Amino acid sequence: MTFAERMLKIDRRIIFLVIGLCTLIPLLYPVGLPIKISPEVRGVYDHIESLPEGSVFLLSLDFDPASKPELMPQSISLLRHAFRKKLRVIALTLWVSGTGMADQVVTQVAREMGKESGKDYVFLGWSPGGTAVIINMGQDLYGAFPADYNGKPTKGLSVLQGVASLRDVNYAVSLGAGNPGVEAWYVFGKDKYKFELGGGCTGVMAPGLYPLLRSGQINGLIGGLRGAAEYEILIDQKGKAVAGMDAQSATHLAIIVLVVLCNLFYFASRNIARRQSQSGA
Amino acid sequence: MPIETIIGGWVATGLTLFIFSFLYKDNPLFKLAENLYVGVSVGYTIIKTYDTVVVQLIWKPIVENGEWTLLIPVAIGMLMLTRYVPKAAWISRYAFAFIVGVGSGLAIPRTISSFILKQIEDTVRPLLTLIPGEGVTFTWSLLNPASSVNTIIILIGVSSVLFYFFFSVEHRGPGKVVARTGIMFLMIAFGAAFGYTVMARMSLLIGRLTDLIEFTDPSYGRPSLWLAGLTILTLVVMARRSRSHPPEEK
Repeated sequence: MTFAERMLKIDRRIIFLVIGLCTLIPLLYPVGLPIKISPEVRGVYDHIESLPEGSVFLLSLDFDPASKPELMPQSISLLRHAFRKKLRVIALTLWVSGTGMADQVVTQVAREMGKESGKDYVFLGWSPGGTAVIINMGQDLYGAFPADYNGKPTKGLSVLQGVASLRDVNYAVSLGAGNPGVEAWYVFGKDKYKFELGGGCTGVMAPGLYPLLRSGQINGLIGGLRGAAEYEILIDQKGKAVAGMDAQSATHLAIIVLVVLCNLFYFASRNIARRQSQSGA
Repeated sequence: MPIETIIGGWVATGLTLFIFSFLYKDNPLFKLAENLYVGVSVGYTIIKTYDTVVVQLIWKPIVENGEWTLLIPVAIGMLMLTRYVPKAAWISRYAFAFIVGVGSGLAIPRTISSFILKQIEDTVRPLLTLIPGEGVTFTWSLLNPASSVNTIIILIGVSSVLFYFFFSVEHRGPGKVVARTGIMFLMIAFGAAFGYTVMARMSLLIGRLTDLIEFTDPSYGRPSLWLAGLTILTLVVMARRSRSHPPEEK
């Protein structure tokens, strides 16, 4: 067996180990590679920056713990930015399995920024129906969520003063890990009730959402951990996403090297086999 | 640090390591973590759904506020349960008909508007743009999504990919060139999607490893180190046992 053939039959656990080390070492010893801000992430940031104090910002945390590493840093950065801009924040989730986590992140960031529930922000929790909830909120927000996550009636909350439906929302961002998510918020929300919409999503979903971005159906897109890191840079509060970028670059480099090597070994072994068959004939 | 946070750290670390142990080989620790994950997520969903739907949205409004009209959707929902009684299963069709009818009515026009009409509108942008004061311009910047070059690329891409999926004509001569162009665009799209998928999976690994590093802190009792040792020990013991007692061939 030639070297190339041996390499092509290498134990896959060695590759796992290489990827694991490429991730772990930069996390332990960060280099601080530069992070360039993309126009799609800047789109979300600039729109929040342009909102006057007291504007209504809706954040839909449409993900569950399986997407936490990518979407939690996005949630934290967006909430910090909105609270810093003194926007009125309405948070909710369309994913039942993400309710507890969404409550945790909203409460944690609000406490950190000295914000009060009911006055500066409200976490509405989860309501059944998926996309139907968006339509319901578009007709009557209080009908869709008669009480917030803590059971307090939503009618009369000072944070919701002057907000009757989605038409009164100045800017909405859906952080989606699937359906319902960004697309549902566009189809059943923005397209019908005419509010500005931005999106955040996992890396897997990002290519599918770029057509919406290009056509102006969403005004910005935060894609995966990379997008979260860009947002952390923009709000000048580095967190877990920026910390993970060195590891991300290292693993990508390792994968590129592995792909190139595998191709080289594949063609080398094919050439050898061809030569052997020719000499045999 | 609160005791529940420390316990949470130990549980999260243990389950992460048990799941990662599958990368070596299938083992009971992985099975334990896998089954726990399924059980906990299903249990959580059932409880949250019961509390939100049955208690908050049905029971309380009816009993406390006298909103009796809610009984209508409840009755329609209850019809679904007749699926479990074979003789009365046909009644559930009324509930399904209602859901399919309403769902289709809501979704079809909105989806056509959002994903077909809007996207067609964006695909057939004018090649030349008329800018007041500057006249007719052709923009070359690939970085600008609205540039004329990007419009041409999108036009070629959409047309060639659609042609590739047009099977009524044999792909020969000029048709073969167009179909091949379509394949190239498809490959680029698949490559971009795969690249993003790799990035996403690596992000998940980074997320778990970040937590594992955090849980090496003495304030948690260093669960990452202890449980990593336990996982490795279990895998070693298992490997030795399987060597000394090889599985019987049937």
